[in-house]
Amino acid sequence: MLKQDTKLIFAGLRIVTRNKGYIFWFWLLNLTLAEFGTAAFRSRLHAALDSSLLADRLLHGFDHGVYLEMVARPEWGPPRGSAVPAMYFSFLFFLVTLFCMPGVLDAYTSEGKPSREDFFRCCGRNVWRFARVLVFYGIVAGLIGGALLSGHVALVHVSKKSTYELLPFYTHLATLGVIFLVLTVIRIWFDLAQVDVVVRDQRAVRKSVAAAFRYTQQNLIALLATYVVICLLGVAVLAGGLWVWRSFVPPSNVLGAFLVTQVIVILWLGMRFWQRACAAAFYMRETPVEPPIPATAEPSPSSEFRSPLAPPVDGAAPPQG
Amino acid sequence: MTLRQTLATLLVASLVPGLALAQLAPAGTGEGAVPAPFIPETTLAINSPTPLAQRVVAYNIDAKYNAVKHTLDGTELLTYHNVTGQTLDRFPFHLYLNAFQPKATWVREAKAMGSRDTSYEEWEEKDWGSDEIKSFEVVGIGDLTSKLEFIQPDDGNKDDKTVVQVVLPKAVAPGDYVQFKIRFHDEFPETQARSGWNRDFVLGGQWFPKVGVWWHGAWNCHQYHATTEFFADFGVYDVSLTLPQYEVAGASGVLMKEVKNSDGTQTFTYHGDDIHDFAWTAGPRYRVAEDTYQGTMGTVQLRLMMQPAHWRQEQRHAKILKESLEHFERWYGPYPYKTLTLVDPEPGSAAFGMEYPTFITGGTFWWMPSSIYEPELVVEHEFGHQYWYGMVATNEFEDAWMDEGINSYTEVKVMDSIFGRDTSIRNLFGATYGEREDQRLFYIGVADLDPMARNAWQYANSHSYGGVTYGKTASFLLTLEKIVGEETLRNALHTYFMRYRFTHPTKEDFLKTIEEVSGKDLRWYFNQAVYGTQVFDYEVMQISSDPVNWYEKDVKEKRGETVYESRVLLHRKGDFIFPVDIEIRFDNGERLREQWDGRDRWVKFGYQKKAKIVSAEIDPDHGIYLDRDNFNNSRTLAPNKAPARKLANYWSFVVQFFSQFLAWWLV
Repeated sequence: MLKQDTKLIFAGLRIVTRNKGYIFWFWLLNLTLAEFGTAAFRSRLHAALDSSLLADRLLHGFDHGVYLEMVARPEWGPPRGSAVPAMYFSFLFFLVTLFCMPGVLDAYTSEGKPSREDFFRCCGRNVWRFARVLVFYGIVAGLIGGALLSGHVALVHVSKKSTYELLPFYTHLATLGVIFLVLTVIRIWFDLAQVDVVVRDQRAVRKSVAAAFRYTQQNLIALLATYVVICLLGVAVLAGGLWVWRSFVPPSNVLGAFLVTQVIVILWLGMRFWQRACAAAFYMRETPVEPPIPATAEPSPSSEFRSPLAPPVDGAAPPQG
Repeated sequence: MTLRQTLATLLVASLVPGLALAQLAPAGTGEGAVPAPFIPETTLAINSPTPLAQRVVAYNIDAKYNAVKHTLDGTELLTYHNVTGQTLDRFPFHLYLNAFQPKATWVREAKAMGSRDTSYEEWEEKDWGSDEIKSFEVVGIGDLTSKLEFIQPDDGNKDDKTVVQVVLPKAVAPGDYVQFKIRFHDEFPETQARSGWNRDFVLGGQWFPKVGVWWHGAWNCHQYHATTEFFADFGVYDVSLTLPQYEVAGASGVLMKEVKNSDGTQTFTYHGDDIHDFAWTAGPRYRVAEDTYQGTMGTVQLRLMMQPAHWRQEQRHAKILKESLEHFERWYGPYPYKTLTLVDPEPGSAAFGMEYPTFITGGTFWWMPSSIYEPELVVEHEFGHQYWYGMVATNEFEDAWMDEGINSYTEVKVMDSIFGRDTSIRNLFGATYGEREDQRLFYIGVADLDPMARNAWQYANSHSYGGVTYGKTASFLLTLEKIVGEETLRNALHTYFMRYRFTHPTKEDFLKTIEEVSGKDLRWYFNQAVYGTQVFDYEVMQISSDPVNWYEKDVKEKRGETVYESRVLLHRKGDFIFPVDIEIRFDNGERLREQWDGRDRWVKFGYQKKAKIVSAEIDPDHGIYLDRDNFNNSRTLAPNKAPARKLANYWSFVVQFFSQFLAWWLV
């Protein structure tokens, strides 16, 4: 089992390394949207800090008192003035990710690198299917997550009555750990469903969801271990990045801080893509290869979306001239 | 302590409870003549051969706590010495625990203004508290229970039962004593206002009927309000507390006796000298550390009652307690008591951060990092109250700033001295936070609402009460250092403490002491800061530097050669008038200092130099803490975008992270 897990992790790593360009584009997109999302905050900062000597106490260190005074000034305005635009752009990033993910999965499950045209064609073909998968996911994760969260709140509430002061903390830790694991399983399930939708060009997403449920159920430990290990690596990356930032970047080095934070962001993004790549690798390894469709057979559902210039399903060379 | 001293102490210790019990015996029931009432001159609990205060009261209390019902039954023999110089026939008493009733003034105000402990969104049974007088007898006169009458001197709320008064059929002549024998029953609420129970913990604060203070020719006995604390006369306390045997107990004063009873209870007998209140705590899980501090008047026994999960912070608590003692003794005056008990209250209870004579509560969490000094801050603050409240016993109802505010100022001084000026609250991962800035921030949001000199219950709201009494007073005194000097102000506080300890000084006593020690007439400052609501806000409105030959065509500026006409415009935005210094920096390294008395609304300074202005700054030494907006106190000619970029990068990182988190879990 361990060997299989390790194989899966490295198979995923190979896929994600081969397609690292996607991480770069998603990072760039995230950065761009974050810049838009923080524009209001930035303009407030410049108005408050650019001409005041007090700003030095935020540049050379971080004086919490000065920061609190800044945001408490009437000129600063309400906190939602900074938070709401950021949330809108975060939501936009989520939508773009939803739209582009089929293309990424297509690349992860292909031997070669799809062209840009194929990438976006795949995205367009699957966008509503992914939206439907998201609805399924929302229902499942909402119901199970909601129930678990209610249990978490109830248990913590009860634990607070204990005379053992650390009990609420351990209860938090244990219940949140369980919630994390359960939500990760659900995430695996729907990651596989998305791969299934892309690979099979599946219109009836419920079939993909059902199939993915079976795969997840049959290989739960291996998949969960893979996802959790990558997640822990992500936490280590975050902790290490923050440590480097704190230890080696002087407080006034704005460029250094920017570079370190962006490396953290890229690596974190990479962790999620790695998980998806593992799901893709698992799917390609575990699912039975369908027999090639006979030439006389009815066109496959996907063929009606394919360009005449695209290679046929059986891999034969496109007609010349 | 020598063996002889120990034996002598034990002898007296065994006598005092006996004395208390003798005094509790009903008049006329014993054999022979009833001894004339008096207030003992004991010094068992202080490092002084003679009493330090004029003792007006002596409380002998015998109380039994029911840990299951959270109730207490007690008998109290209160001996009152009429030192008012007037004949007294009316006596008011505080019944503080009656505040925790739905129609009481305290709850009404707390619901309207907000409270530290509970929002009172809905009334719950556990919020109930009461202090009921079962019988009230005046020795030599008889039972006057039926003559008791609740009064509401502050707001006329007939449902408030926090003050009760009795009119005696026979007045007490000046110099005479009167004894009240009171049987009472307490119901403690789940901790509110630092009194009550939580799980199996209890803190007994303001738990017995307390007589008011005759002050400036009248009784001073206010109702208990959501934003008020307490006021009482000095005296002697002998308290016997009976608790279940599994409880670990602590209290004000010195523990004189501890007896295990056959019914599964234990009785602790405490004695306090020259104190004006008595509090106690009990809980089964306390871990106790004993320590000593060698004070200037003698040894102080330190007793730290810690929660088990906080035991590894015991040394932190002991250290700050000793350092606070050392600073206060060095700067302000001696600590004369023989004991000091620090209670780390039940986690989640509203009992943290409270002061009673020789008994304070701290506040910490099991996870508290060593570079966040909140536990130290709470302990230091509550210890400071041993001076500003405990010994200099100001009227907390009417002059809350004189205990909380002066204490906040000395807290800044002590914390700065120990942990550094800009890092005295936090110094974690490069993020710093200083205590003086914290006090200022507390105040600037409510700068124009209330004067410091206002009755505590008459503030606009609880934010204003907190911001003005704590934050503004500390900022007012920190700014005063700029006028009279840090050392002079320290001397003034020392003089004030030594002169007024064990008395009830007024605000003018304090302000006049500062004027006397500094040799300065400071009324112009006090009238605005203490008695007024003037807002302090100065700004550098505009700065500019233009070549004098700007009108010539193709002017080329050369550093060190081009002559500039420079202007600085300062503006007093608020109505607080205060002389300020201004520093103007030029690009050739020159720094000019100017002064402005602030009387006009604005002032202009102009220069012609072969240098451009770099910046202008009001209060360049950063000694003014009353200014509501420090950002507009300086202005640079060329913008420096680096600070804004740094913070924007932080925020951008957070937004990117949040975006990824969202996409991670949803897609």
